[in-house]
Amino acid sequence: MSELATLARPYAEAAFKRAKETGNSQEWSDALAFLSAAIQDTDLSAIINNPKVSEDRLVQLMQEICQDQVKGEGLNFLKLLIENSRLYLAPQIAELFESYKAEDEGYVDVDVITAYALTKAEEKSFALSLKKKLNKDVNIHASVDNSLIGGFLVRAGDSVIDGSISGQLQQLAKRI
Amino acid sequence: MQLKPSEISDLIKKRIENFDVNVEAHTEGTVVSVTDGIVKVHGLSQAMQGEMLEFPGDSFGMALNLERDSVGVVMLGAYKHITEGDTVKCTGKILEVPVGEALLGRVVDALGNPIDAKGEIDAQEMSPVEKIAPGVISRQSVDQPIQLGLKSIDAMVPVGRGQRELIIGDRQTGKTAIAIDAIINQKGTGVKCIYVAIGQKRSSVANVVRKLEEHGAMAHTIIVCATASESAALQFIAPYTGCSMGEYFRDKGEDALIVYDDLTKQAWAYRQMSLLLRRPPGREAYPGDVFYIHSRLLERASRINVDEVEKLTGGKVKGKTGSLTALPIIETQGGDVSAFVPTNVISITDGQIFLESDLFNSGIRPAVNAGLSVSRVGGAAQTKIIKKLGGGTRLDLAQYRELAAFAQFASDLDEGTRKQIERGQRVTELMKQGQYSPMSVAEMGVSLHAANEGFLDDLEVNKVLDFEAALQSYMKSEHADLMKKIDDTGDYSNEIKQGIQSAIETFIKTSSW
Repeated sequence: MSELATLARPYAEAAFKRAKETGNSQEWSDALAFLSAAIQDTDLSAIINNPKVSEDRLVQLMQEICQDQVKGEGLNFLKLLIENSRLYLAPQIAELFESYKAEDEGYVDVDVITAYALTKAEEKSFALSLKKKLNKDVNIHASVDNSLIGGFLVRAGDSVIDGSISGQLQQLAKRI
Repeated sequence: MQLKPSEISDLIKKRIENFDVNVEAHTEGTVVSVTDGIVKVHGLSQAMQGEMLEFPGDSFGMALNLERDSVGVVMLGAYKHITEGDTVKCTGKILEVPVGEALLGRVVDALGNPIDAKGEIDAQEMSPVEKIAPGVISRQSVDQPIQLGLKSIDAMVPVGRGQRELIIGDRQTGKTAIAIDAIINQKGTGVKCIYVAIGQKRSSVANVVRKLEEHGAMAHTIIVCATASESAALQFIAPYTGCSMGEYFRDKGEDALIVYDDLTKQAWAYRQMSLLLRRPPGREAYPGDVFYIHSRLLERASRINVDEVEKLTGGKVKGKTGSLTALPIIETQGGDVSAFVPTNVISITDGQIFLESDLFNSGIRPAVNAGLSVSRVGGAAQTKIIKKLGGGTRLDLAQYRELAAFAQFASDLDEGTRKQIERGQRVTELMKQGQYSPMSVAEMGVSLHAANEGFLDDLEVNKVLDFEAALQSYMKSEHADLMKKIDDTGDYSNEIKQGIQSAIETFIKTSSW
């Protein structure tokens, strides 16, 4: 996983720089997201990992799958990945690309996990206080996990803010 | 300790009362791979070098390799339950162990947890395992002796408080025995001892503990133990753990003695970790920083001055210096002192006690090679009496070594040479000493005086030890006040010299042995 991230970094950086130059980062983002979703399909990944499938055939196949989802420079990027046998890195490239994009546009993706679904107003107040804490605009992805019992858990990249009842119970158990 | 159920519930209640519910913020990562106690973790962008990382199942690891996308972690203890995808949390703390008086008399593992079934340790303080050694300004030169209680060592390779004296030799040459005698001899002197067992058999450690208990030496001793079956990481950090425990006493203006038994095994453990972490191997497959692991450890053994003690204790202890004396042990293979780790440690320490299998097997125990053993700073710290008398002993033995090869042609030698050989044989014999029977300064002084003044010359070589034993018991019963005076002052004034001389003369006239 960590090795994959290291390998994917130059591709993601290149793609992002190019996207910024041409000003169509959303298009790149969609294309990469599509690619990464496609790669994660088991049938397709079997074909990609099959050494008997030639590069040309793989390019052709990918073109057919992608149709107009990936075009122009995106298609060149796809060909490059296939040529370097790095197509399997697409999910990591997409992930890194998104993080560069988020950093550039000054927001962070934040997962907010709560025991019960948040109302719109609650989500808003979350967004406000997180913005203050992280000094960045936040893009909240809310989800529900009953095992938290109560409270919330916020995850932004590596850092985690654990305000859940289950987390506090664990802390208490450790103390006793 | 018997606890009533009500007490336990009270205890828990109190803990719950004091438990402040706070929102915990930390950094997380995911386990990518687990191999031989080395875990690779993705994420953890905030991790520090040497930080404790928390794994599921209440186990901990230490971050050693910080890379761009991953962290290389060595597990402290069990790692079999860790699987790919587990979450790892940063704790924000560098590895810490409990220190303090409460640890005396206890056997603990490399993390400071008790393993002697005597209950919890109520340690008041925690101290980081890795600390920087005291600076130049806060140090004081070594000028007080620490008596190891062995004639051959105290007379010829004296050790001062705050010195690092290496004990080096092949397997089965009595390295541990010297260290244990040194610990036993600290009974009643106020010197606290720490014995760090690294990569040893559990049975050997149990033996050491039993012997120390038998001789009443456990009360001033802490045993830190990372046995052969424990993970390489624990064997690697055990010496640093012991050192932190010793530094606690040093920083309080007391004296402490630490034995690392042995650093060869620590280097092996570190080599294992480093190779598994894929650090490039160097000479003998050790990593590049194998010198540094020992130099930074031994540099922490030091004597600190009055000002530093006052500063460290916040003014509570005044007018006292503190010291931590280190006796690292290195095991050589086939007497090869030019191997990598032995040369490193020899160059770091302030001298070495060199033990030889040949001497050991020919019955000279402790098997100290008087020619190769040196103490670079201890001379300044010797008591006057031992310093005066020890010089003669050293000289006798040095001359004897030069001539020993001719000893078999005794009949053809001139008078002077023959005398020197005979003196040498008797002094060599006198330097023998049984295990677990350390001697006081006065006892040593009397024995050395007898040798220097030629009282042994008329004895048969195999009678020397009997003579010594009889003389010691005579001195103890008839001249107790003189002995006490020597022990108290350590002087070798004319008065004391005359006292010993006349006592031995009367002893020879009146007694048999």
